[in-house]
Amino acid sequence: MALDTLKKIEEAVKERPQELAEARKNGAKVVGWFNYNIPEEIIHALGLIPIRLGIGGDDRLVEIGARYISTKNCVFTREIVGLFAENQDPYIKNSDLVAVDATCLQTYRVAELIKYYFKVNTLILGVPRNFYLPEGQEYFWKELESFTQKLEEFAGNKLDKNKLAESIKLYNGIRKALKDLYKYQATDSPSIKWREVFDAVHAGFYLDRDKYLSLLQELLKELKEEHGEPVIKNLNGDARILLSGSIIPPKDTKLIDIIEQVGGRIVGDELWSGLNPSLNVNIKEPSVKGIADAYINRVPHAALPYLDLETDGRLKNLKQLIKDYKAQGVIYHTLRYCDPFTFKAGETKDVLKNEGVPLLEIHTEYAGSDVEAIRTRAEAFVELIKNKNILEATL
Amino acid sequence: MTQKANNKPAFAGVDVGSLSTKSVIVSNGTIVGYGLIPTDVKLGTEKSGLTSLQKALEVAKLSHDDLKYIVATGYGRISAPYANKTVTEITCHGRGAHYLHPSTRTIIDMGGQDCKAIRLDKDGNVIDFAMNDKCAAGTGRFLEVMANVFKVKLDDLGPLALKAKEIVPMSSTCTVFAESETISLLARGEKPENIIKGIHHAIANRIAGMFSRVGVENDVFFSGGVAKNVGMKAALEEVLKAKIVAPEYDPQLVGALGAAILAKTYGSKV
Repeated sequence: MALDTLKKIEEAVKERPQELAEARKNGAKVVGWFNYNIPEEIIHALGLIPIRLGIGGDDRLVEIGARYISTKNCVFTREIVGLFAENQDPYIKNSDLVAVDATCLQTYRVAELIKYYFKVNTLILGVPRNFYLPEGQEYFWKELESFTQKLEEFAGNKLDKNKLAESIKLYNGIRKALKDLYKYQATDSPSIKWREVFDAVHAGFYLDRDKYLSLLQELLKELKEEHGEPVIKNLNGDARILLSGSIIPPKDTKLIDIIEQVGGRIVGDELWSGLNPSLNVNIKEPSVKGIADAYINRVPHAALPYLDLETDGRLKNLKQLIKDYKAQGVIYHTLRYCDPFTFKAGETKDVLKNEGVPLLEIHTEYAGSDVEAIRTRAEAFVELIKNKNILEATL
Repeated sequence: MTQKANNKPAFAGVDVGSLSTKSVIVSNGTIVGYGLIPTDVKLGTEKSGLTSLQKALEVAKLSHDDLKYIVATGYGRISAPYANKTVTEITCHGRGAHYLHPSTRTIIDMGGQDCKAIRLDKDGNVIDFAMNDKCAAGTGRFLEVMANVFKVKLDDLGPLALKAKEIVPMSSTCTVFAESETISLLARGEKPENIIKGIHHAIANRIAGMFSRVGVENDVFFSGGVAKNVGMKAALEEVLKAKIVAPEYDPQLVGALGAAILAKTYGSKV
């Protein structure tokens, strides 16, 4: 039975499009954004409403998008273009400005395309290809300064240090609450499933951020009362799976449904539409530079190069999450033509093999034609994990 | 290999594939019956499974009631209410190949509509696998289409490839494009056996790509209906630079055998 606060979150998400439309009537401005490195703290501190855009899993929208971009572009970007072409998504419709950072370059190109075809008001944030060089860090800092100036012009006010400090505090609270929620879903016989936590993360793409934090804290309180402290004692014979790879945006449930149907238990994710953006954010001072430095030191998105396999932050994070959530295998989701993750699948598999953790790559798109083929792979992977514990099988 | 079962409990594996349905019955530590029929689309996967099982029961001189436990596998496993449990064909091929040839570490399974690379540990547990992606290349269906282009029986395709003096490279493994490319090559006057060898090599190269994800370790076992094709076996050995062990049992029945072995394992616990 769903927790009371989860129902409240679900209700709040349902009401949000109407709430946004009314806020805009009263003069509020909405900044929708895509990609990975847009700092919501700055948008929020300027009194603008941040909304993270993008849904997945709808082949019809993909086909509409493919009228404007190649069928060899990633299926998520095709669906985004389809969303703008159709202009029915309430969050797309209610965005006064669309901000996109140049992390995943296909998503970044979408910003150019929607400006050209649909006259969308867009704002781009440049991202360095090397986060570790001082020149790369300086580039990002200057890009963020320029991005902030343009946002200030759009908002009609200047970034205030105290307001920024308050926004940072709010977002630190949200990130901490989400990390705590993930601990609960990974426990034995949890009161909350990973899928419910994942949905709660997605609710945070839309809801008013102050309201969202209070709902998350209420949810954590409810969990603590019901479950006590989150501790993983034993593995209960579950096939504990960590989900990694290409984006799984709201409404793309194909792979998640299949994993659950074949008896796998997802105990965490390493996704840029899941836990990853909440990890390793350490903002040392309430300034644009403080935020630039902190974002650059987060878990990197796969679109950015390893540069050094041994010290790569994403792989280090992946290994840590496997350990924290006691995952026994990784399902690595790659979307067709999503270069950042498909290119890195082989290396990621090898790195984990050395740690004794099996990895299954599922390469897919939003059409339903491969559902049964994915089912066989996912089911065999669950058997592979469970069979580790059986059996002398002979005649 | 088949012998009449005595009063010991019997266990069955049913492998409902896209083109053929196979059943194997084991009892008293041995294989006592098998059935192999084309999967009948009109009949449906459930009835195809039961028909092949009935054939295996007739060979074993047993009745359905003698079966203590049934495991269904293959793509039709989701429509097998007669089974006590379903297991994927990946795990079943692993168990079957391990039983037939215990030093198997790598399996190439080429069936009617898909193709798999499977790696095993010394106990027959699957440690890694890869499957072909949304494409008929390297499957029984692909070879059926090609046999039709050359107007030869499917069974003759492999021996013809072995007769080739040269190899005509085939650039496509897409079933539709390979068919039109073949017609063009024949029109150009290329010898059929040389083209057929080219087709087998194109598939073997594609499968080698699949193995780059999981690796190859000896001994290599070839299962599935396509394993009966000697031309494909030769092409795979050449491309993978590995020796494929000689089949000790009908390779098309390996999945059903693995399912029967698992039926005994699970059924003995009941």
